[in-house]
Amino acid sequence: MIDSILLIDDEDLFHLVFEDACSLLDMTLSLEALNSSDEADKLFKKWFEEGPLEERPQCVFVDLNIIGSSFDGIELIRKINTDYGNGVVIGIISSSDDNQEIEKAKAVGAQFWIIKSDEIEPRLEEFIKDYEGYQAKAAPFKVYK
Amino acid sequence: MQITQQTRKALLDLAKKKRVYLEGNVLKVLKPEAGDNEFKAYLELCRSKDSTARKKRLEVTKRVQSQNKELEKAAEDNQGLLNKLQDALGEAERLRDDALEDLDTLQKRTQFELIGLIVKVALIIIIGVGITTTLLYTIAMLANKDTTILGNAWSNLFGILLTNSFSIIGTIMGVKYATEKN
Repeated sequence: MIDSILLIDDEDLFHLVFEDACSLLDMTLSLEALNSSDEADKLFKKWFEEGPLEERPQCVFVDLNIIGSSFDGIELIRKINTDYGNGVVIGIISSSDDNQEIEKAKAVGAQFWIIKSDEIEPRLEEFIKDYEGYQAKAAPFKVYK
Repeated sequence: MQITQQTRKALLDLAKKKRVYLEGNVLKVLKPEAGDNEFKAYLELCRSKDSTARKKRLEVTKRVQSQNKELEKAAEDNQGLLNKLQDALGEAERLRDDALEDLDTLQKRTQFELIGLIVKVALIIIIGVGITTTLLYTIAMLANKDTTILGNAWSNLFGILLTNSFSIIGTIMGVKYATEKN
């Protein structure tokens, strides 16, 4: 089970779907959801500059296009991996399956890409199976369709 | 995580008397002591209730999410139709303006043609009368006939015709100017 998950997505309804799906799958003990990449950026900056690093979530799911934010999910992943010390399992959760965007995400260090759909649970179940590999930075980039 | 006997009793009493059960992620970390079947059954019941409630909520949330998507799509379709209607309205207005302009041009053309006809007829009459009178006067002079009455008539007639000619020309110019301004 993952200790803590952070979801960054502008859709409040998806927060509820994700929270319930995670709970039913016994996926995590703690889930925090944010609506904008700017909020997430501030949090990671604070953890990186002031600590403690242990407060950071173990796993981060970022939406690709976060409405109302200064930058998209790929840029947030780049910032977390490059500017704020990396150290978390991070990837995209989006309804898009655009190959160009997937390649961009991969290039900035995203470890997975989960495609949102009405049936998110099977994808999350598959993700949990691969999670240890992501934590050990041993699992290859994967798209959950 | 394990809890004290006092908390355990309070939780069990709350469930029995008020039917209030623990819920949420705390259930994932609470463990009963070995052999404590009552608390184990209580935790299982709590988990089962929590799971049922979450399943229901997940179902409802997904339904709302799907309906929202449908509404968004319908709104987009409506906007598309509205845009098409606005385009069609714009096109209809443009065609109406063109038709009005054509009608106006046609009316002006008809007016000019009428004026042209009047001018032609008036000029023919003026020139005709002028030529006829002049011919009569000339023939009378060449034939050594009395030209007193004819000469006066010719002179008066020519004066009147000239005045009327200028009057017609003035009227035509005025009509033309007024029409151009409109």
